[in-house]
Amino acid sequence: MVKRNQKPQLLSARLKNTLDFVFPFLVVGFVWELVVRTGIVQLHSLPAPSTLLAKFWQLAFVSGVLWKHLASSLYRLFAGYLLAVVIGTAIGALLAQKQVLHNLFEPTLNLLMSVPTIAWIPIFLITLGLGDKTVIMAIFTSSFFAITYNTMRGIEMIDKSIVNAAHLMGLHGLRLFLEVLLPASMLSIINGLRLAIGYAWRALVGGELLAAMIEWGLGKMVYQARYFNDASVMLLGLLIIGLTGYLLDTAFLTILERNTVEKWGMAAKK
Amino acid sequence: MKRKIILALLPIAVFLLGWEVAARLEWINPVLFPAPSAILSELVDLFVKGLPVQSELIKHTLATLKRLGVGFSIGALIGIFMGVAMGLSNPLFHFFNPLILVLMSIPGIALAPLFIIWLGFGDPTIITLGALSTFFPVVYSTTTGVRSVDKQMVRAAQIMGATPLQVITSVYIPWSAAFVFNGVKLGLARGWMTVIAVEFVAASNYGLGYMIWYATEQLKADVVYAGILVMILIYAILDKLLIKNIEKSTIARWGMITQKQDG
Repeated sequence: MVKRNQKPQLLSARLKNTLDFVFPFLVVGFVWELVVRTGIVQLHSLPAPSTLLAKFWQLAFVSGVLWKHLASSLYRLFAGYLLAVVIGTAIGALLAQKQVLHNLFEPTLNLLMSVPTIAWIPIFLITLGLGDKTVIMAIFTSSFFAITYNTMRGIEMIDKSIVNAAHLMGLHGLRLFLEVLLPASMLSIINGLRLAIGYAWRALVGGELLAAMIEWGLGKMVYQARYFNDASVMLLGLLIIGLTGYLLDTAFLTILERNTVEKWGMAAKK
Repeated sequence: MKRKIILALLPIAVFLLGWEVAARLEWINPVLFPAPSAILSELVDLFVKGLPVQSELIKHTLATLKRLGVGFSIGALIGIFMGVAMGLSNPLFHFFNPLILVLMSIPGIALAPLFIIWLGFGDPTIITLGALSTFFPVVYSTTTGVRSVDKQMVRAAQIMGATPLQVITSVYIPWSAAFVFNGVKLGLARGWMTVIAVEFVAASNYGLGYMIWYATEQLKADVVYAGILVMILIYAILDKLLIKNIEKSTIARWGMITQKQDG
């Protein structure tokens, strides 16, 4: 009974939230359009939102290049990020097993985690070349340390009696990791994943901008528009970069959170 | 304790030693991976050459720090003001929050091409983008901090006859200071990264980022590594010394955060 009533309410609440979210953009767009149309501000190379929309239509549905840019960006992001997630959690779990390993690598990890993403890019550019490899490696490196560190901390904070109980019940190795350690440290791991996707997104856009041999990608789209002084393509690209980055953070991680720690009752529902 | 330090330094030492040997014996290409000793001597060279007035390294570093200083101050100040306003007023919060969330996800360097068109190469573009990337984390956490203030405290202050301005200065600001600090710290990190990154593409002739980027294009790997080393060191100094000390004399003393016991 209760459930049946909940759904439409939830839907309308979600719709209201979306409207609330979109409303400021509409207002800003409207004022901006007005300002450009009436000529109050005559900034050379500031296109009106209507011009942007026309450009969007052209790039998205007439020539279709926008999707190609977006697709190659997302491909790189996920290649680098997934690699970092798999290797990062594995190494993090490994380091949490023995105190010696922790003492050996924790300070180095801490140090490397504070190296800004942008510092890695020139190094990879000269060592790995100007193409895809550099960008994927930059994404991997920037997200790897945050994931490793948080996994390690998460597993170390698990109550030892839980691990002992699992040992007594005969769980070892991979099964212990998958069924006990991973769920119990999920809160900290998700924290790491959230940090990492932000770093990865920055690394991706920065890498695409700076790596000269890359042809496709949102970063490249913005950068290439410079040669034609095409501010509308730039603004459009920036808006899509901002929106995609925001959606990655909220949509992807909120879904993960809802299906793991919130379902298990480890974190309060928002 | 001593054992801990030795263990901590061990992997770094092994790594550097391995690199040094591999580069000396040319197991790895020493043009791309110059030995740590070569990087260090290049760093010293950059510093000593033309000392004291014309020292390459000092000139580039000062140019970058100047840009960061101006950009960071502007960004942090506007961010705190706007954050307080958004924290106090619900309509303002609901209007600006979505805009900030989306704009915050745009990396500073992506804005560089657009601002180069608007403001040209050099200082105006770099400083503006440094200010922008400082602004977003500051405004975000200040807003969160002010919104988290316990309303009962506010009412208590009002009952005791505090004016609206007094409520802001003696309830809202101390209460949200820890959040503001976090935002400023993050803003400094973002600002530093963005200034260097924008210098890659938009600096005309000075700056640490310009030095690194120019060396990258010339494939002078030793200068690249040396420049990145300086960049990381300066960031560590800014973060560890500057921010930690201010923190210690304000919010830690007020008991807003528990200080970690080092050592």
